[in-house]
Amino acid sequence: MAMTFQGTVTINAPREQVYEFLTDPARVSRCAAEVQKIDTIDDTHFKVVAKVGVGFVKATFALDVEWTEKTPPSVATAKVRGNAPGSAVEMTAGMQLSEVPEGTKLDWKADVMVAGVIASVGSRLLQGAANKITGDVFACVKRTLEAPAPTGA
Amino acid sequence: MPDTATLGGIGRPVKRKEDPRFIRGKGTYVDDITLPNMLYMDIVRSPYAHATIKNIDASRALALPGVVAVITGKDLEAHGLHWMPTLMSDTQMVLPTDHVVYQSQEVAVVLAEDRYVAADAVQLVDVEYEPLPPVVDPKKALEPGAPLVRPDKGTGTNHIWHWEAGDRERTEQAFASADVVVAEDIYIPRIHVASIETCGCVASFDRVSGKLTIWMTTQAPHAIRTVFSLVSKIPEHKIRVISPDIGGGFGGKVPVYPGYVCATVASILTGRPVKWIEDRSENLQADSFARDYHIHAELAATGDGKITGLRIKTIADHGAADAAANPSKFPAGLFSICTGSYQIPTAHVEVDGVYTNKPPGGVAYRCSFRVTEAVHAIERMVDRLADELGIDPAELRFKNFIQPEQFPYTSALGWEYDSGNYPAALQKALDKIGYQELRREQAEKRARGELMGIGISTFTEIVGAGPSHTFDILGIKMFDSAEIRVHPTGSAIVRIGVQTQGQGHETTFAQIVAEELGLPVENIEVEHGDTDTAPYGLGTYASRSTPTAGAATAVAARKIREKAQRIAAHLLEVSPDDLEWVDHTFRVKGAPDRAKTMQEIAFAAYTNHPLGMEAGLEAVTYYDPPNLTFPFGAYVCVVDIDKGTGQVKVRRFLAVDDCGTIINPMIVDGQIHGGLTMGLAPALYEQIWYDEDGNIHGGTLMDYLVPTSMETPAWETDKTVTPSPHHPLGAKGVGESATVGAPPAIVNAVVDALSHLGVTHIDIPITPWRVWQILQEKGVAGT
Repeated sequence: MAMTFQGTVTINAPREQVYEFLTDPARVSRCAAEVQKIDTIDDTHFKVVAKVGVGFVKATFALDVEWTEKTPPSVATAKVRGNAPGSAVEMTAGMQLSEVPEGTKLDWKADVMVAGVIASVGSRLLQGAANKITGDVFACVKRTLEAPAPTGA
Repeated sequence: MPDTATLGGIGRPVKRKEDPRFIRGKGTYVDDITLPNMLYMDIVRSPYAHATIKNIDASRALALPGVVAVITGKDLEAHGLHWMPTLMSDTQMVLPTDHVVYQSQEVAVVLAEDRYVAADAVQLVDVEYEPLPPVVDPKKALEPGAPLVRPDKGTGTNHIWHWEAGDRERTEQAFASADVVVAEDIYIPRIHVASIETCGCVASFDRVSGKLTIWMTTQAPHAIRTVFSLVSKIPEHKIRVISPDIGGGFGGKVPVYPGYVCATVASILTGRPVKWIEDRSENLQADSFARDYHIHAELAATGDGKITGLRIKTIADHGAADAAANPSKFPAGLFSICTGSYQIPTAHVEVDGVYTNKPPGGVAYRCSFRVTEAVHAIERMVDRLADELGIDPAELRFKNFIQPEQFPYTSALGWEYDSGNYPAALQKALDKIGYQELRREQAEKRARGELMGIGISTFTEIVGAGPSHTFDILGIKMFDSAEIRVHPTGSAIVRIGVQTQGQGHETTFAQIVAEELGLPVENIEVEHGDTDTAPYGLGTYASRSTPTAGAATAVAARKIREKAQRIAAHLLEVSPDDLEWVDHTFRVKGAPDRAKTMQEIAFAAYTNHPLGMEAGLEAVTYYDPPNLTFPFGAYVCVVDIDKGTGQVKVRRFLAVDDCGTIINPMIVDGQIHGGLTMGLAPALYEQIWYDEDGNIHGGTLMDYLVPTSMETPAWETDKTVTPSPHHPLGAKGVGESATVGAPPAIVNAVVDALSHLGVTHIDIPITPWRVWQILQEKGVAGT
C-alpha cells in the first residue's frame, strides 16, 4: 500500500547547520529512537537497522539508503529500500530547506510503499504510527539544533 | 432380543465413539507425530502480490547453526517439481523460479533440526524482488492491458474458462415477455475455512525400502496418493498417506498445497523425516480460500408472482490458479442448483473464471461445490421479487415451490431432484416460530421507528457426488467404498474410503452396521484415513460420506447378511428361503423361536461353516450412487437492528432441516448447530479482502472475526423427514445444509428490516459499519 507523509518544521538555526545535521546519518539517527544501527558504505550509501512497532507488530527493518540528490544547503532526497520479516518497504524521502525570518523552514515529504505483513496487519495503524515517529524525530531535531552550543571543553 | 435401541442402530443418539479421546486430549493429529531424526520445515513467503525474483541468497540462513538446507524453486526445477497440477487440471507453482503471483506465496523452504531455528532461518533468507503491478479485481483483470497473472499459460488473458448451462434463447424470451423483472448485483466475498487445526504434514521417505509415508491433513488421502504417485513417479504401492485425527477440514484440506510437496521432496533428498505445520497466519493468508463470486442475477415473473425465468452471470475470482476441487466437468461446481426449490420453467447461467494476484483456490467451504453461492443468489432474488411485488416472501415461496408430487423433478438446468416436500418444511417453520405474530410485532415496531426483520431461506442442496458417469476428480470417479469384516466372536471392523475431520464417522458408520447386522454398536470399530488399509475412496467433502460410503457400508453389510443367512440355514438345518430377518435375527418362518443371532452366525463362519462354503464373514463394496441427493430446509431468522450502532442482533433462528433418514439425530443436530454458526460467520463477520497492491486484509484472527459462543445465538432446530428414494438407507447428507442455508436467511432478515426505507440488497458481511452507513444515508440513524 502506498502512503505519503509530509510536514513542515521551522527551526531556529542557520540553514547550513540544519542541512548538515539532517544529511549526517550518524547525527540525525540519534533523534530516531527506532534506529539501532547505522553502517556507512560510501558517500552516497548507508545501511540502517531500525526496530519499528506498528500496533502489536514489532518489526526490525534492514534498510539500504541511497542519497539520490544532495544540493546543499537546500535540497536532499534519498531512496530507501528494505525488508522486515514478511514485509518490504520502499520509500522516496526528500527535504527542502528555505530561509525564513525565524530561521530555517524544513519541508519534508516521504512517499512510502509498504507490502506484506506490516501493510496487511497494520494498515489501520500505520498512519498513526508514522505520525508518532516523525513527530518525535522532528521535535528532537528542532530541540537539538536549537539547543545552545555546548560551552567549555 | 436385539433391538435398534440396545444395538445403537439407525436413528439412535449414540454418543460419539471418537469423543473420549478428543475430550481427554488423546487425539493424534499430524502435529502429534514425531519421528526420530526428524527435520522441521518452514517457508519463506512473498511480501509482494506480484514481483520478479531477482535473487535468492540463502547464505546467512545456511550459516545459522542447526540449518540443514534451503530449497528454492531452482532446486525443484532440477527434478521437474517446481510446478504441480491442481485438482482442477490447472497448474500452480510449488516454488517459483523467477516471479511470484500472490502475497504470502511460498518462495523457498528452510530445513532445520529445530522448529524455532527453522523459523529464525526464514528471516535470514535474502530475497531480492522487483515489484510488478498486481491486479486484484477480477473485473479489471479482464480489461485489455491488465497485468497478466499467468503469462505461462500463453493465452495472453486472465480469463480462465467460460461455463454455462440452460437454454439461453428460451430464457431471453421469458424475460422479454415478463410482467416483472428484478435484478441485483450480489457479491459473495472471499472467506476462509479457518479450521482449528492448520495444514501440515510429516513426510518420511525410507531409503532402504523406498517407501514414502506421509501423515497429512487431508480430506482425501487416496486421491492424494494417486496424484503424488503420478507426479513423483514413485509407484503407488510405495506411497502411504495417513490422515490421522483432523481438526476440521471444511474443504480447505482437499487441495494439495506447496508445503506438502516441499516437505516430501525434502524428505526424499535428505533421507530424513520432515515435519511442516503452518502457523495461523500462513493458513489464513496462503491456503485455498472460498467463494469470491461476483453475481449478477435476474428473475422474471408474472404480475401475480409466478417465476417465469432466471438469468445469472457470474465472475469467479480464482486467484493465481484454479485450485478448487470441483468435479472435472464442473468448473463452476454445482452452481446450476441456482433454480433452488422453485418451479422455474427456464434458466440460463454463465460463469467466467478469472485469474488475479491473490492466493489460489475456490474450494467448497462446507458446501457441495458452489452451492452456497447458488443458494444465496436464488434466496436473495426470491425475496427481491417479493419486495418488488409487495407479496409476503413466505407466500411467494409457497406459490413457486416444486410440489411434493412432482418428484423426481427435473430442473430447468438439468438436475433430477430425488425427493422433497418444501411446503411442509416451510409450514412447519412458520408455525413453530409464530410467523404471523412476528409480522404483527414487526408492523408495530416499524410504526414506532424500530428496526426488526424476518428472513426466510428455503434452500435445496445438491450433495453426495457421484454418480461416476458424471463426476470425477482428475479422472478418478466419485464412487466410495466400505469393507466390513465380522470377527468370530461377533465384533467387526469397518474400513471406509471416506475420512472424518470431526463429522463422527466412527459412530455413524458403526450404527449403520449395527442396524444392518444386528451387532451392538460398541463392538464395531471404524477405521479410515490410512491408504494402506482402507479401501480406495474419494474422501469426505461436499456432504458425500453418508450418500456414498454410507450407502457402501449398508450394501456391504447386506452382502454379509446374505452369506449369514446361508450359514444360519446350515445351523438350523433349513433352507435359506425358510429364514427371515426379524428383530435383527434370522428366524425360521412360522417357528420364530428357532433362530440364530449374527453373533452365533459369525462364530460358525469360522468354526462350523457349511461344506463347500468359504470360511469367514466379510464383504467390500464400491458404491456408485445412481444420483445425487437433495437435502433441503426452511430457515427463519429474526433480527433486531440497533439504530445507534448499526449492530444486527439475531434474536431467533429456527432451522427446519430435511436430510432424509437420520442415522444419529444428536450428530445431525451438532452438524446443524456448527453449520449455522459457520453460516452466521460470512453473513455478519468474515471477509478477506485485498487492497489494490494485493496486500491481504483479514489475514489474522484479529481482523478475521471467526464467531465464537459469544456471537452465536441460541439456535432452534427441527426436522422433517423425506427419505431419498435411491439411497439404501434413505439418507441424504447434512454436513453442509446449515452453512449453505443460513446466510441468505440472515441477509433477508436484515434487508426486510430496512426494506421500507428502499433497501433491496446488502452484500455480506453485514457489519455494523455497513448498516450504520445505510441508516445514515436513509436519515434514520439513531443518536
